[in-house]
Amino acid sequence: MAEKLVTRRDFLRMAALSPIAGVFATGMKPMNGQISSGQPRVVLIRDQKALVSFKKPDPEVVQYMLDEAVIKLLDEKNPVDAWKRLVKASDIVGIKTNVMHYLPTTPEVEQAIKKRVLDVGVSEQNISIDDRGVRRNPVFQKATAIINARPARTHHWSGMGGCIKNHIMFVPRASAYHADSCADLAVLWKEFNLIERTKLNILVMLNPQFHTVGPHSYNDKYVWEYKGIIISQDPVAVDTVGLMIIEAKRREYFGKDLPMQTPAKHIRIADTKHNLGVSDPKKIKLIKLGWKEDILI
Amino acid sequence: MSNHVGRGKGDLGAFLPKEINGWEAKEQDVLYDPETIFDYIDGAGEIYRAYNFQRLLARHYTKEANPRIIADLFDMGSSKNAYGVFTHDLEGEDVGIGQDSTYKGGLLSFWKGRFFVSLYAEEETEEAKKVLLLLGKKVASAIKQEGDPPSLVAFFPLENLKDKRIHFFYNHLILNYHYFVADENILLLGQETEAALANYAQGKEMFYVLLVRYPGEERARNAYEGFIETYMPEAGSSGILQTENGKWTAVRLKKDLLVIVFDGLSESHAKNTIERILEQHE
Repeated sequence: MAEKLVTRRDFLRMAALSPIAGVFATGMKPMNGQISSGQPRVVLIRDQKALVSFKKPDPEVVQYMLDEAVIKLLDEKNPVDAWKRLVKASDIVGIKTNVMHYLPTTPEVEQAIKKRVLDVGVSEQNISIDDRGVRRNPVFQKATAIINARPARTHHWSGMGGCIKNHIMFVPRASAYHADSCADLAVLWKEFNLIERTKLNILVMLNPQFHTVGPHSYNDKYVWEYKGIIISQDPVAVDTVGLMIIEAKRREYFGKDLPMQTPAKHIRIADTKHNLGVSDPKKIKLIKLGWKEDILI
Repeated sequence: MSNHVGRGKGDLGAFLPKEINGWEAKEQDVLYDPETIFDYIDGAGEIYRAYNFQRLLARHYTKEANPRIIADLFDMGSSKNAYGVFTHDLEGEDVGIGQDSTYKGGLLSFWKGRFFVSLYAEEETEEAKKVLLLLGKKVASAIKQEGDPPSLVAFFPLENLKDKRIHFFYNHLILNYHYFVADENILLLGQETEAALANYAQGKEMFYVLLVRYPGEERARNAYEGFIETYMPEAGSSGILQTENGKWTAVRLKKDLLVIVFDGLSESHAKNTIERILEQHE
């Protein structure tokens, strides 16, 4: 097989995406000791019965998937004990969801999270599920713990919409973080005190979107039934794994290595420049559970 | 915060019918500005901002047992911006609506005057397509005034131009979206510069022409030198070289206008293409 020719455009693109690009960055001190101290664990779980129809999850299966994933992530024996490692009964808990009309986090995922937060002993009045209203939401304003859950999708401006990007609603003016295709999104995690408070990142891969078209960056044609959920305490690692799966899907669908028109460089930069987490797949401990067919990773 | 627009109160609403073939606008219209657009469009909001959009009116049409139709009317402030944002996504067939249009998979887009219009059926059915086209014609006809495309576009030769693919834009992120040049903004693009990229096909070979008009000759000179230094240092003052794929990249500067040919088919082809363009620039 002939070797792929590397042109100067390829070289410039690779340079932008490689860890070397972050060497000159400032602020190399780790932002989160917990995350950066060891190899982050990421759990990918899939279930063939996760969807009752296109974009409609089965609530029971979703609950099962989330439970199994959290148990495995934290090496506990049952879901409530695992969740107790993430959230205390005295916590005020914000479940940061994503309400994008065409591809939301889904009520099924939201309720599966909420059920376990309630099981831990958090009172209902101290739990809120919100996306665009988080800045005005009194629970989120006082939140001591945040569960960050959103679907994985390609994104017209940042390359990928994942867990790192999901916290953009905590900022007063989103456009202030959009420069250079959202390269420095990770900064907002520090600026809005989200690093320590975010206890779990859940990248919903039930119906990921792998290509972006149209005025609303969406078409059902480019969404597939992967039937997976990825979780980690490291937002960068969870997005890295999600991105690898989306890129693999693009190769499969388009029949060639088709780079995203906007590279998702904010994920790599969140690691190399901002130390929010780990973006090197070799340094991520990926645990795969459940259905393996067409897993793409 | 976005604003709900009472019927008849927002002037943008006057361009859209309240009902079409049984599809009705039952919800209130919503008006977005460059800050609130992200409440409505997650992902592509920054594209419209990159073209200086002023206001967006969203109206949703529903009809029982049929897909929802979403009408987005963008006031882009100028015909140059409306043309530019239209050229961001040129996939689809021209259906002869407005000053230029594309239709593909339940999405009709067109521009006319200072407006860019996107009409989208959440599911493409025969009936929905018919209504989209009818709605498009009605909206286009309600917009009375046409506008001029950016003057830069007239510099491009039409021969071998692929489809009608001239993308007009201002900043380097949009350039990279259509044709990746470099992560850094080596061409010093920005909201004050005007740029256009055309895609040509000659036989099975493709090549690209990029034009940038700068607000002054000094900035144009700096961009020219920066491009040579970063992208093709081997070329030096010749401004032309054969790249790794065997094709030719050439760059020339004339006053405030920079012309670059990427993937030229031969040395003479790249040079001649630039010459043809510069002949028109005084």
